[in-house]
Amino acid sequence: MADSHDMVKKVFTTNSARVETNKGDAYYDSLFEKAKLRLKALKKQRPLKDIDMMDIVESEGVNRRDFMKWASATTATLMLPPMFTPLVAEATELMNRVPVVWIELQDCAGNSEALLRSSAPTVDDLIFDVLSLEFHETIMAASGHQADAQLEDAIEHFKGKYLLFVEGAIPTAMNGQYGTIGASGETFQEHLERLSKDAAAVVAVGTCATFGGIPAAAPNPTGAVGVMNIVKGKPVINIPACPANPANMVGVVLHYVLTGQIPELDSLLRPKFAFGYRIHDNCERRAHFDAGEFVEEWGDHGAQNNFCLYKVGCKGPMTFNNCSIIRYNEGANWPVGVGRGCIGCSEPDFWDKYAYERPMADANIKAPTGGVEKTVDQFGLGLLTATTIGIGVHAVTSAMVGKKTVHTKDGEE
Amino acid sequence: MRTVDIVERIEGEAKLVCTWDDKIITNAQIEFLNFRGFEYILEKKAPLDALIYTPRICGICGQAHLKATVEVLENIYKNLNYEIELTNKAKLLREIGLNIEIIDSHIKWFYMFIMPDITALSSKDFSSYKPLKGEKWLKSSFITSEIIKSLAIIGGQWPHTSYMVPGGVVSDPTLLDLTTMKNYLDSAINFFEDDFAGVCIDDYLSFSKAEDLDKIGKDLKDFIDLCFEHGFDKIGKSYNRHLVLSSTELFKVGKSNKRVINRVDLERIEESCEYTFNIDKNKQSKEAYTWAKNVRYADNFFETGPLSRAVISKRAFISKLHEKFEDSVLTRVMARMDEFVHLLYITKNLISKIDISEESFVKPKISLNEIKNAEAKSVVEASRGSLFHDISIKDGKISKYNVITPTVWNLGPGNKSEPSVAQKAIIGLDSIEKAEITLRSFDICSVCTTH
Repeated sequence: MADSHDMVKKVFTTNSARVETNKGDAYYDSLFEKAKLRLKALKKQRPLKDIDMMDIVESEGVNRRDFMKWASATTATLMLPPMFTPLVAEATELMNRVPVVWIELQDCAGNSEALLRSSAPTVDDLIFDVLSLEFHETIMAASGHQADAQLEDAIEHFKGKYLLFVEGAIPTAMNGQYGTIGASGETFQEHLERLSKDAAAVVAVGTCATFGGIPAAAPNPTGAVGVMNIVKGKPVINIPACPANPANMVGVVLHYVLTGQIPELDSLLRPKFAFGYRIHDNCERRAHFDAGEFVEEWGDHGAQNNFCLYKVGCKGPMTFNNCSIIRYNEGANWPVGVGRGCIGCSEPDFWDKYAYERPMADANIKAPTGGVEKTVDQFGLGLLTATTIGIGVHAVTSAMVGKKTVHTKDGEE
Repeated sequence: MRTVDIVERIEGEAKLVCTWDDKIITNAQIEFLNFRGFEYILEKKAPLDALIYTPRICGICGQAHLKATVEVLENIYKNLNYEIELTNKAKLLREIGLNIEIIDSHIKWFYMFIMPDITALSSKDFSSYKPLKGEKWLKSSFITSEIIKSLAIIGGQWPHTSYMVPGGVVSDPTLLDLTTMKNYLDSAINFFEDDFAGVCIDDYLSFSKAEDLDKIGKDLKDFIDLCFEHGFDKIGKSYNRHLVLSSTELFKVGKSNKRVINRVDLERIEESCEYTFNIDKNKQSKEAYTWAKNVRYADNFFETGPLSRAVISKRAFISKLHEKFEDSVLTRVMARMDEFVHLLYITKNLISKIDISEESFVKPKISLNEIKNAEAKSVVEASRGSLFHDISIKDGKISKYNVITPTVWNLGPGNKSEPSVAQKAIIGLDSIEKAEITLRSFDICSVCTTH
């Protein structure tokens, strides 16, 4: 009993689970004032696209109230207190002041696909009409040489101001010849270096762009690396996951519009608002973990009753991401929802380390920020007798983390 | 004269290098210059890991890769005489997932890739198709987001789901889930009737003559009119040889070289690297210009994809169009569009056939990690055509994994004596716009081609 108690304590109070998300009133008050000034200044700027957000929202039959509901949920996603909701709404309307250039390198276009299915009042209006997407190879109107010219125009015209979104890894082996782009045959690395030079910040989207992703899996035949290995002297924001969650892409842009700054990042350059806590911390199956109820194999009694997937290889306890809250495809579902378990796709090197069916106890892996490893497996097995302790410790930990305050106040569970 | 054209608005990028003689294209090289090396990465991995890796070959057809992988692993069992039990429910959920992905892909392809190019040839106002802004473009983007949710219900997310495992699927949908899925498909059917073709789905499915083209309205009519206006009913013709590697509720396996034969021998598929870069410089041919390999069946280039599937399974309306317009751009695009309508109808019925009291998963008796030596192949019909996976396992690890994607059949390089399918369709054309649209009619996927 005592041993289990210690394990439980270690698992749920380790630093990895305690990212400080509530920064106190003084901080938020000052940020609020700053954001107000920032939005006022932005408003004076000429929009890049002459579109009124609310006209579009209303013309699509989405009323102001629904829009404010969305703004409130987004405020929660950004881990800001509810008083920011009107500012987030205003920032959304001002998103057309920030130019975005999106490039694809060694990728599968999965993140672009995810963005096309982003959640918003209606995706198209918010993302495509308001966000000033100046260049996107897959979905823009132009193609061929015309597209090349459009890209050059955009980076010249918005010098120093655009957010550069990068999808895909960068091959460095064989002088970068594993990936070239355009008529000139510029390598992906040269392309990225050139375009990031005049960007305000670089946003690496998806696990390929952040940590090299699947092309960098052993033996990494093309010498693939992530954006942060190439881009120096510029703010880099990593939004890993495969695919990255569009809510987090929109979140980063909104945060930038709102504050003029990039969001607070963790040691892996991931925004804390999205990667500040583990999937496990907010998992819908968490109660079953605490109760020691596990799926032993797919299709069993546990699977039919949505028990915890830890023993069939779920990597949720050591994966930092908000997908247990945001979910995918406009909230339709997420992998744990269908009983498959998390594969840890927002963690570095997950392809090689977090193999599919291998329970974590046998996987010889270490979470990048400290983690649960073997303890949880043993803990899980011994837990039937320690249920109450588990629940008790979990409640205490949640209170310490402070994240619940933010989410419950906004009604965004 | 040589021209270099960049083909974007696809998954990745392709270069189209044409050689011209007196304003006619005499040679066309399609270059795919982005490579990731999946086949190398999969070596030495645990077999089940492939379920996570291969869907990431493509952000658009991940379902197809997942299904090909799960089936190649099940075929390993079969080849070793271990019985794999698959419930009807698991089979249905797999086919439904794949169908939804194809439906989604076809609609998106029409609005995102075909219409922007073909409307650009016209001086009329087609601004409603303008990417990111046009009302029709936005509507199609909305409807595809809706359709794909029905896949997320059983797959957990899209793109890149991994809900299939050897022995079945992990998901166990409730009746409410199934009804929700059907509702999403119904909204797609409404879209088809009201916005896309302007004809009731039952009427459309009864079309059996080439003249039925005239009954089509709305957005698809815009395409058809533009096609005739610019002669796309006459161009884009290739070998008119067709191949389908796998059967489903809608598709039949077979090949057609003037006549249809419903038998295909996977052993007669052969890949070659005459013009393909090699990761090992010493093995690379001097003439290499692309990362794509070429593939032939029984020493011939075959087309694969929706047109081939319609021809082999003799779907009435497209067969008639095919008789009249052969393998032109018009027929190829119409076959793709016809396919999504049929799939909408069929998939709704498949959902009704699910018996939720059945099991989703039956555990295989031994683990793949215990297998000493085995090989297997699998085939799946993906959005763009036939997908082929080939695996070898040694001492519980993958020792070789070969993937042949639909785009390799259609868009790979030719060989010394013959151009490949798309090359042949382009050679002889007299403008770069026609060449690009012909190329697009095959639904190019650069990332799949090179993987």
